[in-house]
Amino acid sequence: MAAIHDEIDNWLAADLHGELSTNERSALHAHLVDCGACRKTHQEIKLMNKILEETLAQQKPDPAFEQRILAGFRNRVPQRSGLVKLLVDLMRLRATQIAAVAAVLLGLVQIGRMITGEPATAPRERERYVEEQFAAQRSQFSASRAAQSGTLAKSDEVAAGRPGDLALKEPPSPAPAQSKDERQGSAELERTIVTGSNIPTAAEEAAQAPTQEPVPALANRKLIRNATVELEIVSFDNAVQKITAIANEEHGYVATTDSEKQANGKLRGQVVVKVLPENLDRFLQKIRSLGELKNQTLGTEDVTKAYLDTDARLKNAHVMEQRLIDMLKTKTGKVSDLLQVEKELGRVREEIEKMQGELKYWDSQVQFATLTISLAEKDMEEPTAFLLKERAQLALYAPDVEKIYNEIKSLATPKVQVTTAQLNRDYSGRVSAQVSMLVAPEESDGVIGRVKAFGRVENFQTQTQRIAQGGNPAAAGSENARTKRDKVELNIGISREEQEQAFQQTNLRIRTSSVDEKAKELRALAEKQGGRIRSSTFSRDPDGRAVANVSLRVPVKDYPALMQSLDSLGKVENVSVQRQDRTDAQIDEANAPADVSIQVYSQGNIVSQNSGLLATLRRTLAQSAGAIMWSLRMIGVAIAFLAPWAIAIIGVIWIARRVIRAKR
Amino acid sequence: MDPSEREKYQAAIHGDREAFEMIIRVHSRTLFAIGYGILQNREEAEDVVQDSLVKAWKTRWRVRDPEKFPAWLTTIARHKARDVFRKRRAVPLSEQLIEPIEAEPANTSALDQKLHSALAALPELHRTALTLRYFEEMDYRTIENSLGLTNGALRGILGRALTSMRKQLRPALVSMD
Repeated sequence: MAAIHDEIDNWLAADLHGELSTNERSALHAHLVDCGACRKTHQEIKLMNKILEETLAQQKPDPAFEQRILAGFRNRVPQRSGLVKLLVDLMRLRATQIAAVAAVLLGLVQIGRMITGEPATAPRERERYVEEQFAAQRSQFSASRAAQSGTLAKSDEVAAGRPGDLALKEPPSPAPAQSKDERQGSAELERTIVTGSNIPTAAEEAAQAPTQEPVPALANRKLIRNATVELEIVSFDNAVQKITAIANEEHGYVATTDSEKQANGKLRGQVVVKVLPENLDRFLQKIRSLGELKNQTLGTEDVTKAYLDTDARLKNAHVMEQRLIDMLKTKTGKVSDLLQVEKELGRVREEIEKMQGELKYWDSQVQFATLTISLAEKDMEEPTAFLLKERAQLALYAPDVEKIYNEIKSLATPKVQVTTAQLNRDYSGRVSAQVSMLVAPEESDGVIGRVKAFGRVENFQTQTQRIAQGGNPAAAGSENARTKRDKVELNIGISREEQEQAFQQTNLRIRTSSVDEKAKELRALAEKQGGRIRSSTFSRDPDGRAVANVSLRVPVKDYPALMQSLDSLGKVENVSVQRQDRTDAQIDEANAPADVSIQVYSQGNIVSQNSGLLATLRRTLAQSAGAIMWSLRMIGVAIAFLAPWAIAIIGVIWIARRVIRAKR
Repeated sequence: MDPSEREKYQAAIHGDREAFEMIIRVHSRTLFAIGYGILQNREEAEDVVQDSLVKAWKTRWRVRDPEKFPAWLTTIARHKARDVFRKRRAVPLSEQLIEPIEAEPANTSALDQKLHSALAALPELHRTALTLRYFEEMDYRTIENSLGLTNGALRGILGRALTSMRKQLRPALVSMD
């Protein structure tokens, strides 16, 4: 067995170590019988094994080895005792681990809530919290209400005892005493502005107001009441009479009346009535029956404080005056002092007069309420007359702008006034003119006809406007208004023919072999047909392709002939015609301009210079050079992208290694 | 690996000290053999066993599969022993020369010294395999598990190790014969 012979060492070792199976052992022994060299090796190995067993057995650890190792281990890793051990043991349980994880998660959630500011209370607790809040608010509210109505006797005990009940029992409208206080104290100026549809309700309120408010309470207060009313009535005089009658009834008087006659014969005016304040509301009620109420305001001004102030100051001033007079009477001191005293006396007296006047004014104002009634007769807005204003606009195209411009200007007569006339020449030398004129109505048709004859009319528009005079034009019932025809305003714009937009636009292409020749021919042809060349270009590209663009303008009547003659030049391709029919304007179609754009081109060389072996080679080289440069750039980008990180990682590893080595 | 053993390793990984001490009792001699195989010095080898066990206890949570626990232990011991070996080289040569003479008395026979020098000349793995076999008379299977070798490889290693020893010691062997 060659295998055994080759690996005799392994076999022998395994045999000595008793690791061979029965089959293997018999195979080995069979080989040893055959092979002398292996037998010799066997002897040696056996001896070697014996020596090793003897020698290494000596080096074997002594029996106390394990104990020593254990003692050393216990010494170096002290056993945890008590709580720590318990905790460590607990942590070994799966249930504890899960609980710990759950606790950590909950803790994180709580921290998150704290950070985001979401309330961390459970829903039920939150409800209770809301209830408590609500109750607290309610009691607070009722307490404040109780404190407000301090005049109510038992407020304190009630507020302390049954706050909720009080809040519920308290009537929605404040108690009368409180109301009076509030109205007089806080609302110095009370105003009710009533407009439009909600007047009746306001009227009701106004009617109720005097009966509710106790008059004696007002007696010692200085209140100025005034009101304004706007009424639309049928007849002004009639209304004034009625107002006077009502004023007499209510112990008032008409202070002033003024009226004004409008252009359409209607009257508008103002009546100021003075009535006793307590009668004001009733007065207003009565006045309302006179006509349609447009607007009403009612105001009350409390001047009590100012009045009392002025009164007190007046008394002081009187005392001062008396003292100064006394000073003059004794006549002691220097003359200059006396003069000073007299000067002062004059000032004081002036002040006294002013204050007295003020008080008198207030008294009069308080005594009588002022009611300003604005009256306007119906159909105030009806216009008196109508004016028919006609405006005409004309755009004219002519070969010679200046000539036409002068001719139009010469149309001026007393009945035809030229208001503005201007002739413009812009940087490119184009001339345009603008003329505006006012024409008497009877002359207008004639003038417009003559102007139209001067050139081609492009655009003609007239517009008539009816303008109401002295009133609202939308107002109905204008049958008695007169209608008058005003002067006609005529605006004429004159431009050169070229600027006119083409009536018809044609695009076509002509293919030919000799472009410049044909282009010349084309130009000659166009001139012959009465067309005008507007622009022409010629170009030739490196491939020998030549292109000529010619655009020309002919009158529509010559257009068919031109198109026919074009066929003689070459193959006509891609014809497109665009016609702009203008329905709104009267137009002279035969003379209207038609634009024709013609492109004359040749095919050029079929083979481009950019083909062939050399060109392809050149292109390939250029492209590959480009590709190489591009890849170089990409590599640079990649290096820039990665290098910092690589350097950083290498640095970290280097430092870590140094640290580990230093530790050893 | 039988289930009770597996359980023992699992418990040790989870921090059961008693289980770990049991493992120490069973494996410390193997670890010693490994340490000795590398260092050929009993004191140092014992220190290596101590250090390895402490390190194993501290880093036990790194072991995911309890089956691999013994192999992991031996790996730690090998690394520790190599560390010690490397450090020893840094010690001045003169000390190293004097020490063996003092440590080993002259009467331990010339054969013993030759044997040790022959052992020192062996590759580390061969030496370890030899020590495991001759210290504890371990069967091949246990050695394979500890060192992570296949049966064929272990047979080859042991065979070659023995042969190399035999060749080195041949004169002595001949004289003994």
